[in-house]
Amino acid sequence: MTRRDFFHKWFVYTLGLLPIWVLDAYILPRYPLMGVSPVLLPLAAAAVAVLEGAYAGTGFGLAVGLLWELAYPGGFGGLVLYLAVAGMAMGAVSQYALSQSFPGCLICSAGVLGGLDLLRVGRGLLTNAAGLSDLLQVAVPEFLWSMAWTPLVWLLFRAIYNRVGGTRLA
Amino acid sequence: MKDFLRQNGILLLVIALLLSILIGALSYAMGGEADILSNAVTTVASPIRNGVAAAADWLEGVYRYVFHYKELEEELTDLRAQVRELEEKVRQGEEASRENEQLRELLGLKERRRGFELETAKVTARSTSNWESILTLSKGTNDGIEAGDCVITETGVLVGVVMEVGVNWSTVSTVINTETEIGGIVTRTYSAGVLEGDFSLMNQGRLKLNYLPEGAQLVSGDEVLTSGRGEMFPSGLKVGQVEGVFTDPSGQIRYAVIVPSVTLDSLIEVFVIKDFDITE
Repeated sequence: MTRRDFFHKWFVYTLGLLPIWVLDAYILPRYPLMGVSPVLLPLAAAAVAVLEGAYAGTGFGLAVGLLWELAYPGGFGGLVLYLAVAGMAMGAVSQYALSQSFPGCLICSAGVLGGLDLLRVGRGLLTNAAGLSDLLQVAVPEFLWSMAWTPLVWLLFRAIYNRVGGTRLA
Repeated sequence: MKDFLRQNGILLLVIALLLSILIGALSYAMGGEADILSNAVTTVASPIRNGVAAAADWLEGVYRYVFHYKELEEELTDLRAQVRELEEKVRQGEEASRENEQLRELLGLKERRRGFELETAKVTARSTSNWESILTLSKGTNDGIEAGDCVITETGVLVGVVMEVGVNWSTVSTVINTETEIGGIVTRTYSAGVLEGDFSLMNQGRLKLNYLPEGAQLVSGDEVLTSGRGEMFPSGLKVGQVEGVFTDPSGQIRYAVIVPSVTLDSLIEVFVIKDFDITE
């Protein structure tokens, strides 16, 4: 794969991330389902990691984490590292234990989202923000409602992968 | 994993770690003002944010017009009745104001004043996280907005406090957000407390009036305003109504649950109080 192909491939992936970001940041929060908005960016990181493997998953996770930290209010930096590590882990899991399939993506998305919600619940408990049941009342619906969006995210990135993914030339 | 190591995957993780530290340090160092990276990204994203907000507002308007026309008509009739009522009250108020002025002059009392320097702004994005309640506005430092400014509706109801400001955007921590902490007072009993967001109440769209005095006899429906203590925020801004009074599990602190008067989900335009001058 030439340098030009490499840049073309990741440009198309970035274009794919754009509608996910707009949906996640500006459209879905306007129409929450029973007060809950889905979180789509970790799903995008997981889908690309499953399709492209550990190394590309780390890079894409890093980029998604940067977008999340810089374009959303209240960033503190931790999401860049979290999504890079999660991208690496999910990429490795899909390469060695699962497959580049929708069930694999579903499991990896659950892992990334579950880990994120666990961290948030842990932070809430550590800072005494609320009790466990109150924190879980936010974390569980968020997890479930976000997971419901996995097929859409998977289909989008799978279509991109089929066109420019792996070592295919554009 | 061999591929990962061969392709300098560790280097990517190190870069991620360094970026995390950099963003964390910048956001800590900048306090209320957005750090340079967030400012650049959010400013570049402004046209998308504003465009999506404008399109969504327009579509919602069309939807309401088509599917809720009868309700809109009823609302219009109610509003016309309210305008007639208010016009009458304004006439009475003007008369009372003139009389008040004359009496103050006679008694040599200082005039009470409430002066707000306001800046209108559009709500361009709502909470992007289920863990906090934040709004994004269309104005920032270019229009003189600063962190800590109060945000109100057109009827003077408190929406929240500006927490982060960029060049042409700002984020507002709403009254129900867990980071909110403002002095509040119950108008009927003059019981003062601290208005605070609470995680469990935030998801029900409520907040707390904490540290109530022991003898405070509050009832459901009591009106709560900002107290203006500390002079950080103006006094007299309407916050909401008391829903109930409770005691925390330790049995030491009494608090009231407040239903905010603002409907955060349907806010389109708000006013930022850039400066205020209140003489009581």
